[in-house]
Amino acid sequence: MAFTLCAQQEVRLSVRSRWTQTFTVVFAALALAVATSGYVLSGGSGTQDFSRTAASLVELVLLLVPLTSLVFGVMALTPDPGAAQLLYSQPVPRTVVLFGQLAGLCLALLAAQAVGFGAAGLLIFQRAGSDGVFGFLGVVAGSCVLTVVFLAVAATITAGSTSLRRAHHLAVALVVWFAAVVLFDVAALGAASLLRSGAASRLLMVAAIVNPVDAVRTGTLLTVDGTTAFGAASLAFLRMTGGTTGAALTLAASLVVWIVLPLGIAAARVRRADL
Amino acid sequence: MITYEGFAKTFGIVHAVRDLTVTIAAGEVVALLGPNGSGKTTSIKAAAGLVRPTEGRVLLGAPGRSALEADARRVCSFLPQRVTFPESLTGREVAEFYCKLRGRNADRLQEVMKLTGLNGSSRRTVGTYSGGMTQRLGLAVAMAAQALVLLLDEPTAALDPDGTCAFYAVIEARRSEGQTVFFSSHQMGDVERLADRFLVMVSGRLVASFTARELTTALANRGVMKVTVDGISDVVLTRLRAIAPGVMSSADQIMVPGTADVRLAVLDLLRNQGVTIRGWSAEEGRLDAFYRELVEGHHG
Repeated sequence: MAFTLCAQQEVRLSVRSRWTQTFTVVFAALALAVATSGYVLSGGSGTQDFSRTAASLVELVLLLVPLTSLVFGVMALTPDPGAAQLLYSQPVPRTVVLFGQLAGLCLALLAAQAVGFGAAGLLIFQRAGSDGVFGFLGVVAGSCVLTVVFLAVAATITAGSTSLRRAHHLAVALVVWFAAVVLFDVAALGAASLLRSGAASRLLMVAAIVNPVDAVRTGTLLTVDGTTAFGAASLAFLRMTGGTTGAALTLAASLVVWIVLPLGIAAARVRRADL
Repeated sequence: MITYEGFAKTFGIVHAVRDLTVTIAAGEVVALLGPNGSGKTTSIKAAAGLVRPTEGRVLLGAPGRSALEADARRVCSFLPQRVTFPESLTGREVAEFYCKLRGRNADRLQEVMKLTGLNGSSRRTVGTYSGGMTQRLGLAVAMAAQALVLLLDEPTAALDPDGTCAFYAVIEARRSEGQTVFFSSHQMGDVERLADRFLVMVSGRLVASFTARELTTALANRGVMKVTVDGISDVVLTRLRAIAPGVMSSADQIMVPGTADVRLAVLDLLRNQGVTIRGWSAEEGRLDAFYRELVEGHHG
């Protein structure tokens, strides 16, 4: 009951927030732009099919969704001290309040993304048919998973704190985003270039599992293009995990850990916090 | 209703509260006084389950359960010093949310909004409220919980005179229903008017606890009587000083500091000595002066 109420309240706040409204419009515009202008670079014109749109959308999702989830998460989970004190003094366990808020925020962000994916999907279906729709749905699923993972990370950063530390938490969130989306891959590739081929492949394999952004990228590419889009490291990863099912399960396990572990830490922090 | 058992709280190297042991009984209206940084807010927040004791514990209800247990907090309702609400929600939406969160229906909401003077503004978004209206909404939320204990941290600090009147009405209503109120304040007017008992904290320690009756006596003992007379002889003045050593006099006025008994004795003596009394007035001691003495005594 309290969980649902907190989730509903967060959905209501998110729907009325200009930030969420802006994100919805921008994400939809970008998704439509990707769907309608994908052939421009290859000198053509017209709407792409689902497969090509999905392949183009992956990078947009990997870049934008972690950032918005972290920033929106930090903003929503660092209320003013007076608001936090009133909320957490209610006869409701703190973890229920936190997870309720997270659930509501997650729903709101997923709904905002659904508008963009839905608009692009409808346009593609109307103009190019349903070929490759599963790859597109794979990107949507990847986007959902990234939203949950990075909201959980935002909860870990902010749990039990208030707006007095919001700027600090935002800075930490931006560092986390930059590390996960840009720095990690650069570091992994840099390190791999210094290693022998076998060791480099193993390093890149581990990198694909350890970083949630890479895990979603690998999983999504698997749904969009199968193994055709894979490089040497990904193929080695497939061999190690015994095929696509094993690879998918390994990636899913990594992502589950990336959701459960931050939520566990956030729960422990919010329980112990002095407000 | 609220029991502090050796409660202590340390933030880093700062001892906010040290060894606080006090019980607030059901139906009492208790004021917590003290200068800034004396540990008032930390103590009240501990009762609201917002602060984990470094030592000791804070219990709510009977039999007492730790304030850190969510269910134990069902008996209390807390209003922070500077409450805020999401600006995009209306006053009514805010109050309804908190009612539902406690499993209460919103039946009394209209009544509480009216009592706190927000009835006409409940459909407006909180973003359009003034600071005082937001604080009143906080009071409405705290009231609508219908909890047995009301915990208020400097509730009138941000209120305008209307809001303060609404606050007094709320507390009087709570008192008449026999419910418990524990509040901190710097406003001596609030304290004197509302509280049955007073706790004074200085530097994290409880330094004084007295009932309203004890306060009245203490203030009376600090009173001053001013008597206007038709002249007074040195002999009478010497006799007066024998029973009231602090007596001061001018040509036609005598100032007598001291207890009510001393003042009565002075009046009797003047009459018996045939002194013509043209008028007199008495002023009780002031709470703020009394409080300052207490605080300075323990600061030193």
